[in-house]
Amino acid sequence: MSEFLLTQIINYGAPILGVTVFFGALGIPFPATIIVIAVGAFCRQGFLSWPSTGLIALTCVVLGDCLSYAMGYYAREPVLRRFRDSDKWVQAENSFQRWGGMSVLLTRFLITGIAVPVNLIAGTSNFPFRRFLLYDLAGETIWVFGYGGLGYLFGPQWEAVGAFLSNASGLLLGILLLGVGIWLGVRRFRISTGIQESG
Amino acid sequence: MTPSRLRTLIFILIFMGGLIVGFFGVRTLHAFREFGRHRPPPPPSAADAGQIETDVELIREWMTIPFISKMYHVPANVLFDALGIPANKNREKSLKRLNKQYFPQAEGIVLEKIKATVLAALANQPQQMQENPQPPVVPGTPTFAP
Repeated sequence: MSEFLLTQIINYGAPILGVTVFFGALGIPFPATIIVIAVGAFCRQGFLSWPSTGLIALTCVVLGDCLSYAMGYYAREPVLRRFRDSDKWVQAENSFQRWGGMSVLLTRFLITGIAVPVNLIAGTSNFPFRRFLLYDLAGETIWVFGYGGLGYLFGPQWEAVGAFLSNASGLLLGILLLGVGIWLGVRRFRISTGIQESG
Repeated sequence: MTPSRLRTLIFILIFMGGLIVGFFGVRTLHAFREFGRHRPPPPPSAADAGQIETDVELIREWMTIPFISKMYHVPANVLFDALGIPANKNREKSLKRLNKQYFPQAEGIVLEKIKATVLAALANQPQQMQENPQPPVVPGTPTFAP
């Protein structure tokens, strides 16, 4: 897939990058991070202009994120019908109101694998759209210009940089899942031990 | 959440997390070592846009002939002639696609031929470049700037 997209980008330029990152933001599994790094290298080689390419990519990815937020927002009613009375839902909604901004920011460029679920949750949990847009814009700016900048900086070595960053992002996701699992396990163990001691 | 469901969730999270950490950990380490093997890149400068690439090992099968032509400053018609295929309708096709279309029996032959042609052209280039630092312009060669 990435080879096909790279060929299309060198043929048709920034619009193809825009389409790629837009659909990537909607959850289509495009290798968007690798493509952004490659495009940074193309800009260094003079095949593309970095200001216009960067702006097109940023606009398209933010539009994609807003659309997936909207999907979550309009799915709120059916979700609420099912979970409205659940304490856990209220707790989850409150947690997202508190930590949502940071979640949106970090999943734009660090743990990109869960960016789409975070967008959907943000919409469903009624996270204020203006705050979402602000954090989204900040995170995507880091993603587009930071990762594209690495491609620009490392030029012909962009493949090695891309491979490292993509794998490191997957590793972070694994560490996050493992951490949450261990945290829940320890908490459950403490609660059950506490009950036994008090009993 | 019932205790048995919570136990299942904890098990799934730890199992999946461990699996992902193991898989991507090995790949990250490998990618880091691979990255360390490369020579450090020169700092970017305004002259990069016109700089000639000289390492033919950077040519990939997803590249097109006009892209390689611009990257190495080798006229596109020289590359098409080396492959013995017409330039018309083939400018936007990747080397892989050209290989499938024109040389289906010989996998990778297009990439090898292009590398050899570029290498030969680069060997003749330094003298020309000293006399005329501008890259050769071939009529009909598309530009890449959007």
